[in-house]
Amino acid sequence: MSAGSLWGKAARKFARDRLGMLALAVVAGYFLVAVGVWFGWWASGWPDLTGSKWEPVSASHWFGTNVIGQDIFDRAIYSTATAFEVGLVVALAATALGAVLGAFAGFFAGSWIDDLIVWVMGVLDAIPFYLFVAAVAFALAGNDWSMHAAMIATFWVGTGRLIRGEVIKLRGMEYVEAAHSIGVPETTIIFRHILPNTSHILLVQASVMFVGAIKAEVILSFLGLGIKDGMSWGLMIDESTKEVLAGFYNNFLAASVLMFGLVMAFNAVADALQDALDPRKVS
Amino acid sequence: MELLQYSLRKLLGGIPLVIGVTLVSFALMVYFGPDQTYLLLGKNPTPEQILEVRQQLGYDQPFITRYLGFLREIVTLDFGAASTGEPVMDLLAKTMPVSLILILPGFILGHVVGLMMALAAAYWRGRWLDKLIMAIAVVGMSISFLIVIIGFQILLSSSDGLDLFPVRGWNASTFADYLTYVTVPTLATMFVAVGYETRFYRSILVEEMSRDHVRTARAFGLPESRIFVRNILKNCLIPIITRIMFSIPQVAIGGALLIESYFGIPGVGKATYEAIVTGDQPVLKAVVSLTAILFVLVVILTDILYRAVDPRVTLK
Repeated sequence: MSAGSLWGKAARKFARDRLGMLALAVVAGYFLVAVGVWFGWWASGWPDLTGSKWEPVSASHWFGTNVIGQDIFDRAIYSTATAFEVGLVVALAATALGAVLGAFAGFFAGSWIDDLIVWVMGVLDAIPFYLFVAAVAFALAGNDWSMHAAMIATFWVGTGRLIRGEVIKLRGMEYVEAAHSIGVPETTIIFRHILPNTSHILLVQASVMFVGAIKAEVILSFLGLGIKDGMSWGLMIDESTKEVLAGFYNNFLAASVLMFGLVMAFNAVADALQDALDPRKVS
Repeated sequence: MELLQYSLRKLLGGIPLVIGVTLVSFALMVYFGPDQTYLLLGKNPTPEQILEVRQQLGYDQPFITRYLGFLREIVTLDFGAASTGEPVMDLLAKTMPVSLILILPGFILGHVVGLMMALAAAYWRGRWLDKLIMAIAVVGMSISFLIVIIGFQILLSSSDGLDLFPVRGWNASTFADYLTYVTVPTLATMFVAVGYETRFYRSILVEEMSRDHVRTARAFGLPESRIFVRNILKNCLIPIITRIMFSIPQVAIGGALLIESYFGIPGVGKATYEAIVTGDQPVLKAVVSLTAILFVLVVILTDILYRAVDPRVTLK
């Protein structure tokens, strides 16, 4: 990577953004917590009954216990891994889908391929999000991945539209014309010559969708359409809806505060990325 | 005349979209959706009874026949009766106004407050007030809707908080009742919207404020208020119209779903969610197809509004 490249410049601009760097450090901290959960270093005892009902905060139960005596701290820490799992799976898959379909639509703009993809985007936009997710969840009959599938199926549309617009601009550039004229196959042009030039959009979109997925998970879990097997901040908040009016706030606070920290930091990273990568953005 | 021609052409162009939406929703919600056979049968049904009910529901028909039947119902706006026996159109006529008066105050306030905060931020761009407002906006965007709802409920409706408003439920028989029940949902809706709206309005305002013609107008010594209304706000109308218009279908149905299920308010969102969970097909058909039609109408109306605010736009 040369110092004058877009990425080199962006990296230096990002490094100067103190708020962005701080947010990145926070996200990295959360990620380490999640890695620890995946390797079983901590919080593996989240389903165990280690106390009695609604114990207050103590040295052995840092955030107290829930209604059946499970440790809330362990559950909240374990949920960090779930959040990363949902966020990463949805963001990566939806970005990839949006990139490929958006690029094909843009490259073949005006042909039936473009018409078809734009029609699919319009259809997905016209169905209200939560109805769609609920419908997918019930159509897949409670499959563990139905929530992920539904989010991926709707989230890619925004990225797809952006990439389509960018590719329409890029395909008229001279270097693409040059590739055409020496007989480079069209799929090679799309994947080797055009898509890499949209990666700054993809990076920002992926970070935006990561946040979107974590936030959607909470609401879907409350509606009974979320995580089936495991523990998540959404499930903890859902559990807390029955407790807060009785004056028991530990579940609610633990999940909300941890989730707010990650989402806030990720939002700040996404903003800093956008500032660093988009030369046209006025701030 | 030009307008009429244009609208008709656009309406025809919207047909593929309606077909797509109904096809996807038919496949997901009805064809692969929950099987209602055993809901309608008593305990220990005989195989003949099962067969009879499946025939009534049309489960023995091929996909395309059932889908065409679905389309016929949309064209004639005759969706039959919900599982409670109530005609679907009556159910919608009863629940739609509830959703509207529930969601509208929060929607409008979200836009108004967002616009005010964006104006202040854009006017003092780069100064501490701008930074403070934008920081508040990011904080607002980072809190989950559900957390906001629970938070306001604790603060305003619980015995640990101010205990001013009812915890849940709905009653709009008098204006005073309406106000007590609508306040907490409205505050939550507004709170969630403000972060996004502030960022949106600020970004378009900043873009328009830094245009050359604004600088020129200022150089000619035109009053600030006039520059703002004529040279800045007027040019911002197109993105604003787009944003408001395209949130209408979502606000009318999707947006109310969480609020309505949380507070137990009998609106369209709750009725639809219950219909999905129980597989009440007539309700689903009606809601999804009406949303799709609303979406197409919104697209057409948006284009016509563009024409009204920007003479450079032609209706082709």
